[in-house]
Amino acid sequence: MLPAPYAAARSLVALALALVVATAAGAQELKLLPPEQAFRFSARALDDRTLEARFNVADGYYMYRDKFRFDVDPATAGPVAPQFPAGKMKDDEFFGKVEVYRDLIVVKLPLPKAAAGRTIALKAESQGCADVGVCYPPQLQQIRLELPAAGKGPTAPIEANAGKLPWQQ
Amino acid sequence: MTRRWGQWLALVVAGAVALAAGVWLARPVPPSPPPSGAAATLLGVALPDLNGREQALRQWQGKVLVVNFWATWCAPCREEMPAFVKMQRERGSEGLQFVGIGIDDAAKLRQFAEEIGLNYPALVGGYGALELSKTLGNTLVALPFTVIVDRAGRIAHTQLGPLKPDKLAAIVGQLL
Repeated sequence: MLPAPYAAARSLVALALALVVATAAGAQELKLLPPEQAFRFSARALDDRTLEARFNVADGYYMYRDKFRFDVDPATAGPVAPQFPAGKMKDDEFFGKVEVYRDLIVVKLPLPKAAAGRTIALKAESQGCADVGVCYPPQLQQIRLELPAAGKGPTAPIEANAGKLPWQQ
Repeated sequence: MTRRWGQWLALVVAGAVALAAGVWLARPVPPSPPPSGAAATLLGVALPDLNGREQALRQWQGKVLVVNFWATWCAPCREEMPAFVKMQRERGSEGLQFVGIGIDDAAKLRQFAEEIGLNYPALVGGYGALELSKTLGNTLVALPFTVIVDRAGRIAHTQLGPLKPDKLAAIVGQLL
């Protein structure tokens, strides 16, 4: 007869082994987030002439700097001149050096002139991939921001809804 | 003795839990199965090739057809394609036919096709082809996405993400 602790340990080993085998089998399938959850876009107004876009990138995902496009509606409030943070340079066999971001991307978007009290729609196009080997097509998203009065701000951040794909425009 | 039975019971219960956990964790989570008629939709597609000539997918019916949705802006797509070129060269004579549908403009597709010596048709799909891939089970609308059609024109396998050469060889080997 086996001493109790030994038997219990054996049960645990059996359980652990079964889990390892099962996980190895299950790992074949890719678990992927929809793009609006993998790359969560939010924005706020810092003051009456500066917008700020944020992309929260889920673990295991990354975004390309040169795929970002920002635009405002009405167009008369723009154009915006995005100020990107420094990303990480990555060697791409086809495109050469490309800059990628992970975790959090904060882009400052100064407007050409103050627009205190106005409502401006910030349109963002973005594109990213998952490390497991999947890329998403460019996403188009929009956030409506009410700019604060002169000397006020920043406003509370607003999260974007699911994006549209380029052909759904 | 009661104690011994208790130990055995614990072992049996642990085993059952492990088995259940194993079955649950290992359960296949396939991409949504393409609706019936999806294969017909796919085979009914005609798209221009890199020379601008319209190519109907139906011309390859009867072969084992590997339709790969890709783009140059998708690094994992580019990475898996040399293996497709190799397999096309080695097993094309057995009736294996790769077809690439590029979600991109023709110039970029052509540049990459030349770079890797693409030896199978590259069709120019544009974003509309991504919508097509969605009807084939690519619910996340991401790339690469690959559909394998058997000789009878039925969809045998769909795959989101890279198709590893050994997995592809195993699937194709059964169909050829």
